[in-house]
Amino acid sequence: MRAPAPAYAAAGDTIAMATRAIGAGLVDAVELVGEVQLHVHRDALVPAMIALRDTPGLEYQQLMEIAGVDYPQRAERFDVVYNLLSLTRNHRVQVHVATDEEHPIPSVTGIWPVAGWLEREVYDLYGVLFEGNKDLRRILTDYGFRGHPLRKDFPMTGYTELRYSEEEKRVVYQPVQLAQDFRTFDFLSPWEGAEYILPGDEKAKPASAAPAAASPAPAALPQDKGAPTPLSADQVRKADAEGSAKEAPKASSEPYAKTTADSTADTGKGSAEPDATPKPADPDVIPTAGKGQNQ
Amino acid sequence: MGVELHSGPVELKARPDGGAAVVAPDQEYFDSLNGELTDKGFLVTSTEELFQWARTGSLWWMTFGLACCAVEMIHVNMPRYDLERFGAAPRASPRQSDVMIVAGTLCNKMAPALRKVYDQMSEPKYVISMGSCANGGGYYHYSYSVVRGCDRIVPVDIYVPGCPPTAEALLYGVMQLQRKIRRSGSIER
Amino acid sequence: MSHIPGVEVAPATTTVDPYVDELLGVQSPAHPTEGDVTIQNYTINFGPQHPAAHGVLRLVLELDGEIIERVDPHVGLLHRGTEKLIEYKTYAQALPYFDRLDYCSPMCMEHSYVLAVEKLLDIEVPLRAQYLRVFFAELTRISNHMLNLGSHVMDVGAMTPNLWLFEIREDCLNFFERASGARMHHNYMRPGGVHQDVPLKLLTDIADWLDTRLPRLFEDAISLVADNRIFKQRNVDIATVSRDDAIAWGFSGPMIRAAGIPWDLRKQQPYDVYARMDFEVPVGTRGDCYDRFMVRVEEVRQSARIMKQCLAEMPEGPIASDDRKVVPPKRSEMKRSMEALIHHFKLYTEGYHVPAGEVYVATESPKGEFGVFLVSDGTNKPYRCKIRPTAFSHLQAADFMSRGHMLADTTAILGAMDIVFGECDR
Repeated sequence: MRAPAPAYAAAGDTIAMATRAIGAGLVDAVELVGEVQLHVHRDALVPAMIALRDTPGLEYQQLMEIAGVDYPQRAERFDVVYNLLSLTRNHRVQVHVATDEEHPIPSVTGIWPVAGWLEREVYDLYGVLFEGNKDLRRILTDYGFRGHPLRKDFPMTGYTELRYSEEEKRVVYQPVQLAQDFRTFDFLSPWEGAEYILPGDEKAKPASAAPAAASPAPAALPQDKGAPTPLSADQVRKADAEGSAKEAPKASSEPYAKTTADSTADTGKGSAEPDATPKPADPDVIPTAGKGQNQ
Repeated sequence: MGVELHSGPVELKARPDGGAAVVAPDQEYFDSLNGELTDKGFLVTSTEELFQWARTGSLWWMTFGLACCAVEMIHVNMPRYDLERFGAAPRASPRQSDVMIVAGTLCNKMAPALRKVYDQMSEPKYVISMGSCANGGGYYHYSYSVVRGCDRIVPVDIYVPGCPPTAEALLYGVMQLQRKIRRSGSIER
Repeated sequence: MSHIPGVEVAPATTTVDPYVDELLGVQSPAHPTEGDVTIQNYTINFGPQHPAAHGVLRLVLELDGEIIERVDPHVGLLHRGTEKLIEYKTYAQALPYFDRLDYCSPMCMEHSYVLAVEKLLDIEVPLRAQYLRVFFAELTRISNHMLNLGSHVMDVGAMTPNLWLFEIREDCLNFFERASGARMHHNYMRPGGVHQDVPLKLLTDIADWLDTRLPRLFEDAISLVADNRIFKQRNVDIATVSRDDAIAWGFSGPMIRAAGIPWDLRKQQPYDVYARMDFEVPVGTRGDCYDRFMVRVEEVRQSARIMKQCLAEMPEGPIASDDRKVVPPKRSEMKRSMEALIHHFKLYTEGYHVPAGEVYVATESPKGEFGVFLVSDGTNKPYRCKIRPTAFSHLQAADFMSRGHMLADTTAILGAMDIVFGECDR
């Protein structure tokens, strides 16, 4: 790993142990970008979490985070990601559970009380239901908010906005009216796999020749993205690991050589004594007391 | 001449050659005022001037710290900038405050509370909108949960730009409000 | 029947005249007066506009007299939709949102994000940039603790230390302004390094400040409260949290250290050059509000120690990676090279593309573990950026921490938690 990201213990045989501990509930277990991902079926979540917490050698005592992710093109569109931390083994693991709008995920509030608010937040922002959470209210959005804002089909600006109504003497909601639209630019390069037709190109080929191109792009996301890079982060990381066998520095007392690579002109760093060399005298300037122009 | 070293503030004194760098206080005005007071025992002024003097001299501000700008609002009140020099002291109760400084992003969930606090303030009341979020949404303008400017909820007198405005900028905003109160020239607001 | 809820009036057995009883409103249990209701608890609303709420917290408190029975914190009053906005911005445009999350310690928020992006990009960061990041992250920690310690002290009734601590904070902001150009929202750390190098005079000034002004002001201010009887009465044994509770409730940072667990991500999972730093992790013994306060006090001293080591060891060299697909070229280079100009244009319009992947990167922010769960789909904008706030788990624990304490202790408990709502509500 070349990036100076937090370095914790290596995964080792975590995946093998987790596979044994969770058993049939485990759908998939992979290690990507140095992080272990366990994909667990939602019905087996609670026993899997208990196994991850209590099995010696796994010992994930703390639940740090529950994150929702929305993939609208999938049948089970939501991923709920639990980030666990082991204080004794100094290791982190991600537990992924997939679900949709209707099927609830069993709550883990019985294992970690901290899950209460975290699940409320995922419910609020994504509309994922948690079975067994006794207090599944909205937490972040306004009282009486409608919709789940972090879903990909929810517009960034929402549907309503607030103003004070002089007639009703209170704050009222009204439909959104923007003075200026959000400026979003399309960086999708036609050479990097654009899925839309450029203006003028629609007559070039008949629809039968390119049926895929004629149909609109499937499940286009509301925000415009650039073309994706072909490599995934994990591939980049592995390629880099082969290229350089650089180790992160370990001990605080490790000696190292100080290098001077750039000149101060390149780095923009000031010199130690900026006024060491006096400026050449300018015959047009009459020296004054030097107290500034206002004195 | 070389570089002069001095510790502490630069002395403000009129130059011997009579330069107008520093405006000296109007000594005659003070002398006549003082003479009138010692002679008669009272002063005569207009109620308008008296009210303006009272209003500008004790702008107690309602601390409506919402987000990042609240930190700068605290800083302006702390020893380095010391807003209390201008008679402006923080006040946590809306009933006893004259000016509300809306410092930070106003979100939908908070807007009714803002209006309620504003309604509870006693007249005459002024509002300073601090920072680009309070002025018009700023960096969060296109968010689904942010009010695009606190002037949609309460009437605003002074806008202080910046993200966040420095403590000096807020200080200047308070001085501008004092100027506005002086110039409006009427008893009613 | 007393008019003060929770206070029981003894049944009137000694009064001679029942008519007097009736006039006084004394109720005999056998003959209740019509319209009387027995009130046990009452509920009060704390906030959302309260000077001791440290922002826009709304607490619904159920009280039995002055004793807190239940706390229901309502958060989200500063929910600005940061995570949604980030999905519509390129990676470079999303960075300033992190400054505005925890506005008391902006640099530490940036730190998690840039480390997450760098982990996905797998980009190397020059040593000087890593030192600069650690250096300014620790300066941020000092300035954050100044605000928190000062306001905690003020919440329990002392005024003077806050004035001194803010003087230190004002110095910190000046240093930040000299390094990045902004007093609060720096936008200084960038994926691949930092934005610009610092002048040598700034480093020497900070070194002077660390040697003279900081210890003098800080130790003066803390000596006023650390052994103060009133301060101890307000804080010792308030909201005691055991080790098991701290783990189960997902505590981190000074909160878990005050509970007696020596867990510091700078030590356990070192990032940047923290592995080279020699510092100690303070740990509390009782897990009460006083311990939390003192852990932070000691952390300030340790931060100063780390900063001195950074100054002593910081090498010369480039301050950002020379990968031109991620880090924009220097201005002087753009004047000479066409390619540099194209790179600059592409980076500031389209931005860089981050390879697909999912990472969770957490750093030790002054308030605890601040994590970023970043999902990239290979494009120039984050697919999902989940921010793990420190305050969420701490504030959730406010219920069991303040149960059984007096109403006036709420401010001490909140002050010792160190909550900032920009980060809590996002």
